[in-house]
Amino acid sequence: MAQSERMIDIAGVHKTFVADHGTVTALEPVTITIKEGEFISIVGPSGCGKSTLLRLISGLDHASGGTITLDTAGRKRPVGFVFQEPVLLPWKTVLENVRFPLDTAGVSRAEADRTALDLIKMVGLAGFEKALPRQLSGGMRQRAAIARSLSDDPPILLMDEPFSAVDLLTRDTLNDELLRIWQSTGKTILLVTHSVEEAAYLADRVMVMTARPGKLKCVHDVDLARPRGEETKLDMAYHALVAQLRRDLRTSGGSDEGTH
Amino acid sequence: MIKRVTAWIDYALALAVLLGAWWFATGPMAMPTYLLPSPARTWNALAGIAMSGELWLHLGFTMQNIVLGLIFGLVAGIALAYVMTRFPKLAIWLDGPLVILQTAPKIALAPLFVVWFGFGILSKIILIFSLVFFPVFIGAVAGFRTLDPKMKDLSKLLGLGNIQRFRQIELPSAMPEIFVGLKIGAVQALVGAVLAEWMAGKLGLGYLMTFAGATYKTPLLFAAVLLTAVLGLLMHVVLTLLENRLLSWKGAKR
Repeated sequence: MAQSERMIDIAGVHKTFVADHGTVTALEPVTITIKEGEFISIVGPSGCGKSTLLRLISGLDHASGGTITLDTAGRKRPVGFVFQEPVLLPWKTVLENVRFPLDTAGVSRAEADRTALDLIKMVGLAGFEKALPRQLSGGMRQRAAIARSLSDDPPILLMDEPFSAVDLLTRDTLNDELLRIWQSTGKTILLVTHSVEEAAYLADRVMVMTARPGKLKCVHDVDLARPRGEETKLDMAYHALVAQLRRDLRTSGGSDEGTH
Repeated sequence: MIKRVTAWIDYALALAVLLGAWWFATGPMAMPTYLLPSPARTWNALAGIAMSGELWLHLGFTMQNIVLGLIFGLVAGIALAYVMTRFPKLAIWLDGPLVILQTAPKIALAPLFVVWFGFGILSKIILIFSLVFFPVFIGAVAGFRTLDPKMKDLSKLLGLGNIQRFRQIELPSAMPEIFVGLKIGAVQALVGAVLAEWMAGKLGLGYLMTFAGATYKTPLLFAAVLLTAVLGLLMHVVLTLLENRLLSWKGAKR
């Protein structure tokens, strides 16, 4: 994986909301550069601004200050986004949902079908092309949502606690599948999660964020061998990192012990 | 499938019992024809105007008015509801006038519509429109307002244009609530159509009723009343079929 090029450049980005009683700081200035093909986990408690950061990168919200530069060469849709809920259109089949970004971009039906069917196979939903979302389990819906987010081939994939609504066993499986998808597509992935284990298991780097006010506390490099699997979870380095992340989250804000 | 067959048998049995009671009242009990015409006489009256072609003229006129009123009411109800949810300022402005119009009994306005819009088809369609508009409008407002905010995020991420967003996301997700309004509106539409024809004009099932009543042609009156009931049933069936088709994704309905 070529990790030389800068894919996302975040410089002093911050966000304040105007609430009933004055302004609320959702995110204190964040500066970080993310390389092409990198897998970044963002971990932190509720209210630490991790979802806000993702929304700012995606363009769903606008920053109060600072700049975000995406190296996506003026693409109309530079990012794919996977929400906490699948957000599938309930009146469309799996195939139609996955194809939706292509249909609305005016891609020919034959080409869109080919892409969508490949993606459906990749996320393990082959045989469910004609199923409606309500006929699928939570994990399968989220698979469909991932396939949709990849269908118009965005270089960046943003995932906002994508697996928090599925059971633990399914979550482990989906994490492994996500790593496989990442390895085969070379996307730059930012994944927000509550789970330090998930963050450490998946990422090249883990961004630790703390709440009130939301800020980036530190960034850890994850030096675990790839491809990762069950043996990774037995690795001492993995457990050390998980423990370190826990400590980072427990000691509240203030301190500035940037490990990286 | 078996369930459906037994349901049809139930319907048929109920209808047969009703028909039997009707026949009994006019036959063995000898009710006078001017009060209650026999099934056979009613059938003859119906067959008579069907043969002469008069029936199709009246039926066609009523159905045409209902369909036009439904279409206009549906489109206008959805359009205003959409505009109001897109521009909340407008909603505040329009809220008062709309409540007044909505609570005003449209049937009471019917004579006014005749004064304003004449004896022709226009006043009839406007009455039907006014009856269809509000239920559809209220349903559509509810539908558009309950749109999942994540769907808005999705359309923003995909960079959908206004028309794409409306056609692909907003309208289909509001469809269940719109349909609730439409079904209420359809019942009202039939009432409005018949009422409008009572008041003015020389066409339609409503006119047929007033004509038959005024000339003591009770079998014809009966035929017209029954036809109206059948028309109402027909509309219900058509809308239910349409609903099953359009909203099958909701699942688990009947």
